Parts: sequence; structure tokens; C-alpha cells
Amino acid sequence: MKWSGYKNLEELSEHDDADLDHLKRRITFAALVIIFFVTIIFGRLWFLQLHMGEEYRHRADNNRVRMRAIAAPRGNILDAKGRELVTNRPSFNVVLVREDSNDVDKLLKKLALSLDLDISVLWDKIRDASSKPRHIPIRLLEDVDWETLAYVENHNQEFPGIRIETVPVRVYHYGNLAAHAIGYLGEISKKELAARNSDIYAGGDLVGKMGLERLREKDLRGEKGSSSSEVNAKGFEQQLLKSVEPLPGNDIQLTIDAELQKVAEDLMASGDKAGAVVAMEVKTGRMLVLASSPVLPLNQFVGGISHKNWNALLENPKHPLINKVVQAMYPPASTYKMITAMAGLTAGVIDADTVFYCPGHFKFGKRRYHCWKRSGHGAVNLKRAISESCDVYFYQVGLRIGVDRLAEMANKFGLGHKSGIEMEHEKSGLTPTKAWKKKRRGQKWQEGETLSVAIGQGFNLVTPLQICLMTATIANGGKQLFPQIIEKVTDPDGKVLEQLKPVVVSELKGDKALLQQIREGMEEVVEGRRGTARNIRIDGITIAGKTGTAQVVRLKQYKHLKEEDIPYKYRDHAWFTCYAPADDPEIAVTVLVEHGLHGGSGAGPIAKALLENYFADRLQKAATEEDSRIEAAGQER
Amino acid sequence: MLRIDRRFLHSFDWILLALVLCVSGMALMNLYSASYPPSPWGIPPFLKQCYLFLFGMMGILFILFFDYKVLYFWNYPFYIFIIFLLVLVLVVGNSAGGAQRWINLGLFKLQPSELAKLMLVVTLSSYYSRKEQSDGYGVKAMVTPVLLTLLPFLLILKQPDLGTALMLGIIFVSMTIFAKVRWQTYGLGIILGSAAGVFAWFYLLRDYQKRRIETLLNPAKDPMGQGYQILQSKIAVGSGGVSGKGYLEGTQGHLHFLPERHTDFAFAVWGEERGFVGSIFFLGVYFFMLIWGLYVAMTARDRFGVFLSFGVVMLIFWQAVINLLMILGFLPVVGIPLPLVSYGGSSLLTTLFALGILMNVRMRRFQTGQNIEKMK
Repeated sequence: MKWSGYKNLEELSEHDDADLDHLKRRITFAALVIIFFVTIIFGRLWFLQLHMGEEYRHRADNNRVRMRAIAAPRGNILDAKGRELVTNRPSFNVVLVREDSNDVDKLLKKLALSLDLDISVLWDKIRDASSKPRHIPIRLLEDVDWETLAYVENHNQEFPGIRIETVPVRVYHYGNLAAHAIGYLGEISKKELAARNSDIYAGGDLVGKMGLERLREKDLRGEKGSSSSEVNAKGFEQQLLKSVEPLPGNDIQLTIDAELQKVAEDLMASGDKAGAVVAMEVKTGRMLVLASSPVLPLNQFVGGISHKNWNALLENPKHPLINKVVQAMYPPASTYKMITAMAGLTAGVIDADTVFYCPGHFKFGKRRYHCWKRSGHGAVNLKRAISESCDVYFYQVGLRIGVDRLAEMANKFGLGHKSGIEMEHEKSGLTPTKAWKKKRRGQKWQEGETLSVAIGQGFNLVTPLQICLMTATIANGGKQLFPQIIEKVTDPDGKVLEQLKPVVVSELKGDKALLQQIREGMEEVVEGRRGTARNIRIDGITIAGKTGTAQVVRLKQYKHLKEEDIPYKYRDHAWFTCYAPADDPEIAVTVLVEHGLHGGSGAGPIAKALLENYFADRLQKAATEEDSRIEAAGQER
Repeated sequence: MLRIDRRFLHSFDWILLALVLCVSGMALMNLYSASYPPSPWGIPPFLKQCYLFLFGMMGILFILFFDYKVLYFWNYPFYIFIIFLLVLVLVVGNSAGGAQRWINLGLFKLQPSELAKLMLVVTLSSYYSRKEQSDGYGVKAMVTPVLLTLLPFLLILKQPDLGTALMLGIIFVSMTIFAKVRWQTYGLGIILGSAAGVFAWFYLLRDYQKRRIETLLNPAKDPMGQGYQILQSKIAVGSGGVSGKGYLEGTQGHLHFLPERHTDFAFAVWGEERGFVGSIFFLGVYFFMLIWGLYVAMTARDRFGVFLSFGVVMLIFWQAVINLLMILGFLPVVGIPLPLVSYGGSSLLTTLFALGILMNVRMRRFQTGQNIEKMK
């Protein structure tokens, strides 16, 4: 071979045209090859861009557009006077969107290192959520502090796939006030998610789990907003495409008065008492106080309650998880005597002047039925029987009218059935009848049992709310009012969606004067010289009430013991129910203290404190007037 | 020697020039979008490519002054020079992604393997135009061209750059078939070729190269890995639809879903932004330019000119076909650019020089051997 082909040049020129023609014919073949491939490429372009164009367009959008729901702030919960009980504050969660992160392992290591976290905890969270779709954010850290928030936000370019999610969480301005009525939130469960509308709820959402938070979920939840933003291949957000603001939930104003509720709860808590305090406006059915003690620790539920805390609640002997206002049943004891009296008066077996002699016991059949006062009350009429709570009197009355008519009267005052109040798992209580016993126990009614029922023991069971309703019915002249706890519901624009209207469930027919005789007896309980609740008298307000002491067990072995020596769980429950002012009743208050021993001493003072608070303005005014009157009188002299 | 015949101007291939300018113009426009937004530091790829394009056009002008036959004389020095560069790149080359492909020349990084493609076209053209065999080449006659191809082939494979190495093989096969070989030669070639293929699969191919081929056969197998690129490329092209998303409006490219969007996958950006209509137009012009190149070969005045122009067309054509079939999801991801369209100085210059050679052949189609004598 030569570097320079001068000789070759001649070779080149020597080629004949025929040879060149052969060569050029092969060029035609090459052109066909080109056309062949061009056809394939054009065909493929047709397939991708025209035939599948729509599909790929969609996939391109899926690639780049991230839809995100924005949680709506839940509606606020206010008290009767408009005080904010429960509102929201923003909380910041650190979340991971796996779809936007191409190396989760590396990312977590970096995050754990920067924020000084335990990486295994992060991995656990991811494993828990591994069945969820890759675009669903996984919460790594909840409710982080400002420092963490600022760090993650400032270094977001280093953490592809990590985002800050802002979620409103509940703030309880009054602590655990009215916890059972208000309830708490929790993360939506898989079961709830399946049952509820999937357009509204998504995994990780907070929903009401108890109380009004649950019952009024629809009002409170609001409407989620959404934002669509464009992300690049690394998952970093480039720009916001569309954003719909969330619509806050409706505000709910309760009938509960935070101040009164607080008085009730504090008093119960200070004595470490278990039980319930219920107060109601007797003319409207507004529930002013709905306290169950011990209260629920609401703050423990924010962000999910821990196992340890939950078990502690479950195992607490005072059952904080039970809303004792409606979910616990107790024998009504002496508070039931108004029913017996009313049944007797209505049936005509007694009148105001009917007198029974109480020697301290009542013999029926082979048994002696004791009065609480072993020495006996002597001759008692209705007024005294109520004010001194003479058992023997009511044995006599009960015996004369029979258990069925007692139950009938009890039902008219709200006992024995659910009131329908907006609280969960309300118990209906029990007003026994002969038919009931036959059906449930398969046994014939024993007349002796009527005696127990007549004084509120035996099979009788009531909730504290029912006793309060009964008291209110007596106070207002026989109207059974529907107990309501929601004053009004307003939407975020302030439009009133729902406004409380008093509802009369039923009205006592017959002589209203009969009821007056019972009221006089009740007034005597507090105001009378020998009343069982003399200790709760308040100057300036006349109170009518009734004490009750509900036997928990009838054990001979404890009979001889001093009250303080009886084990807690065998001590009697203490009832006190009352209304005031006696001449024109406004409020009914019922207090039940579990194992509180005596109605007058165990439960009465709490009712007294409530009434003092409720009437504080009037009492103050009366006192000032009194002072100035005295002063004026002094100056005259 | 530098005397320009007035007839040259007259017979200059204005159509080919127009086609080249048309394709390059669209390609530069596309590159602007593909590398948008420009990075804040250094010369943006778009500008760099513009400079190189102008440099390439000047190169074409320079080439046009000489009779293409010069290549015939200077073929072997050219060959040795390129082999020297290929060896040099293995010794001092810049490595990127585990491959040593570039020699840093300051202003731009030279990729000798790109030049090697053109070098092979020239070398084979000059070999086959020398030794005409009317009944086709026998096995013995094939030894020299095979060895001439194998040397740069192995050097490029060593970098490693499988795509470019295969490109040399394809150029060799196209030109050899075009030169006509005997049936025995075909037979032996196929046997040796497949043996080499099997050997390569088991002993030469690296894992990532094998994976690329496997991914092609089953892209759904790992959507975030090798198949991801092909999938994103298909989404980009497909989402362009009939008329495209509009210039600079492509989301696949600008949001970085598309890999290598300004180099190997540059056409996917065009497909996304210009849609079916724009793609057909662009490729129509592009392939018409190649068909025109074959027409140049048809009208060449001598055997060397025919081989040279045919080789140049094949050089561009096979790269384009392989690149497009890869973008459209028919071939694995091999590093083959779309000539004139993909960003890359060496490829652009090589392609422009090749097209310059084509213009040269066309321009001197009426010149006789006599004229050459005079030129000397």
C-alpha cells in the first residue's frame, strides 16, 4: 500500500461506466432500505402520538401533577355564653411521599442524621404504610416544633419526597371541661374508611370518635380543600397549578355554661369523687351542666392516645371512660319518692292530709321493712314524709297502688326510657312492672318487691340525667322537656343553621295542684326545720330538693361498721336533686356521687355551689340592696 | 490546487445545503428548548452548539476547496491519526460515567470515536473503490477491510462505548454489502459474526449493557431503572399528540422526567412539543436529506465518489434509525446520538464534515479525470 496513490488515480479513471452502473443500481436498494425504516418510524409515531396520544398525555400529567388534599379546620365548639371551648391550631407533620423519592433508604438516613432521629422508628412507619399507594403521604413525624419545621423547610432541596403537611389539630381552652359531652378525635380506622364516603375521607384523616365530635361529625368536619402542583422528576414542587381553599366546619354553640360546668367538675375532682352533675333549665330543656367524673383527659387523645394511657383509663376503678350522666345506672333511692307520692295522689289513695304512722319499720308478710330512721317518724303526712324521707309512709302508698301504676307514673316523669339527648350509649334505666318481671325473669311479682320499688330501691334503675329530667318536670308543672345540649349551629359565614327550640315531649294531665303538694314537700327538705338537706340552704334563694341514698349492697357484715370503715366499693351512692327558686323554678340540679354515702352531705354541697354560682348576680344584688336598706335605716335614725 | 472553477459554483448543490440548514435550524431550536432553562454557569449548550455549527459550516467551506479525491490519497495518514487519537483517549482521556471518551481541548471536548466513524467511511470507500471485483469480493480480499475496521472497533469497545463500536460494525457491513461480496463470504461472515456475538455476550459485555438489552425485552420489569428512560421517552413523544404541547411547553423534558433530554433523547423533546405533525415534518426533511444523499451517490463521477457519498449517507442514516428506534421504544438505550440534533460537538462536526464531503462529491460530479490532472 502506498501513502500517496498517484498511480491509483489512473486506476480510478480506468473504471468503465458499466461497473459504475452496477454500483448505482445497488443505491436504489439502499433507498428502499431507508424508506422501509422511515415507514416503521412513521408508523410508530402514529401509534404513540395519535393512537395512544390520549393515554400518554394522561401519563405525562400523572407524572407531573400532584394533587394534595388540604385538611379543613373543624368547627369550633363554644359554651352557652359564647366562650371558646375547643378550637384549632395548625400542627406540622413531616411526611414522605415515596413516589417522589427515588432513594428512600438514603433519604431516611440523611433525615435521621440531620434531625437526630432513630431511623428504625422511621422505617417502622414506612413499613406500616407499605400497603398504601406510593403517592399517599406517610407521616414520619407529627406535630413537630418550629426548629424542626424550619430545618426541613430550609433544606427541602436535600430531601426529595419529604414534605411538610399542615394539619389543624384541636386545642382545648378549658382543658378537659365537658370532655364526655364534647368527645375527642382520632385517626379514621380502616373500617370507618370503608363505611364512609371515600370522596370525603382519606386514610389518616381525623374524625370524631366520641361525644359531639362524633355525633356532629358532619357539621364539624367542613370541606377539604385541594391543591394541584407541578413536580419535577425528583419530586420537587415547581409551581402551584390550582388551589381550592378548605371550608371550615360549622361552629357549634353548646347550652353548657363553662363556668357552671367548671364549678361542678372542680368540686367533683377536688373530692376525688366519681359520679355525675347535671343541671338543666326547667322551662327550656337547655342542659347547663353535664359533668361526669372523673373527666376524660382530652389532650391525651390529640395525635392518638398511647396504649399505656388507654389501658390506664380502662383499668381506672372510677371508670373515666363512662359518661355517668347517661351511661351509668343507679337505684334512684329516695329521689323516687316523688313518683310514689304523685302516683298515690293521682290514684287518690292519699291526699295531703293522709297520715301514716311510722314506728321505724313496716311489717309485710313475714318480713320487717325498715325505715331509715330506726326510731321511727311517728305520724307523718305527705309533706313530712317527703321532707324527712319517711320510708314507711311510702311503703304504705306503694302497697296501695301497686308496682304497675308506679312505673306508669315514673315513665311520665322521664324514667324508664331514653331521653334522646345527643349523647352516646344512653341507658334507658329500668322501671319494673309485673309484666317485665314475668318476661325477663319468668317469675311472678312479689308484693314485697313493690315496697322496695316504692322507695326507689329494688329493680329500679335510673341515670342521673333522668333524675334531673324528673326534677325539672316537677318544677315546671308537669312538662317533660327534651334535654338539649346544642344552642345553635352556625356556618363559617355566621349563618345560623340550627337554633335551639324548647320541645315538650309530654305533659302531665290532671290536677296540677297535686304536683304543688309534692313541691311543698321538696321545699321543706331544704328549708324545713327537719329537712334532710338543711345544710344546703342559701340565703336569698329558696331551694326545693330531695336527697337519696342508694344502697349498693345489702350485706349484713357491714351493717355494724362505721360508714368510713366500709370498703369504698360497698358504700352507698349519694343523690341530691333540686330546683330553684322554689316559687318560680328556673334550674334543676342533680348530683350523684358514687359511694358518697349520704345525699345531703355527699352530694348536696355540690348542688349548693352550683346554685350559688348560677344565682350569684341576683344574690349579690339582693345583698347590696339589703346593705343600702340597712344603711338608709341607720341614717334615718 | 486551490483554483476554483466557476462551474463549481454553478454545480454546487444548493438543495442539499438548504436541507442541511433547515434540519440544523430546527435542531438548534429544539436544543434551546431541550436545555431550557439554561444553567447559570458556563456557556449554555445551545450557544455552544451554535458556535460549533458555525465552525462546522466553515469546515464545510474549507472542504469544498479541495477535490474529495484528496481523501483518497491521504486516507492512511488520516486513519493512523485517528487510531492515534483513539489510543490517546484511552491513556489521557477524560472519563465520564465510567467511560473514557473525551480528549479535553479546552473549548470543547473531542470525542475521537465520533471522528472514527467518518474515518472508517473514508477508509472503506478508498479500499473498495480501488479493488473492484466484478463477481464480488472473496474471503481473502476481506481480510484487509475487516482488520481496518476491527482495530478502531476494539479500541472504542475498550473505552467502553458499545454503541459507537457497533456503529463501526454497521458501517462496515453496509459498505461491504454495497461493494458486493461472494456468497461464501456472506456465509463465513455470518458464522464468524454470530460466534463473536455469543462470545461477546458471555465475555465482553458488561452487566449494565446486558441489562439494557434485557430491559428492552421486558421494560415493565423495572420501571424506575433502565426501562424508566424508555418509558419516559415514550410518554414524552406520545403525550405530544397530534400537534404537540407547544414550544418550550413540554413537561416531560422540562421537569426532567426525560433522561438525556438534550443529547440522545433530544428528538423526544421535539416529539413532545411539536406532536405528530411536527415530527413527520422534521423527519420528512431529515430523511429526504438522506435520500438526496443517495441521489448524490447516484450522480457521482467515479467509484470513490459513489462509495464516499453512500458511506456518508449510511453513517448518518444508521445513527438516526438506531437513535429514533431507541426513543420510540424499539431498541435498548445505546449511546447513539441523532446526528445534527443531539447536543455534542464531536458528533455535530463529524456529521457536518461528512455532509461537506457529500456536497463536495456533488459539486465535482462533472469534473473529469483530466481536470484532476490539471489540478495536480
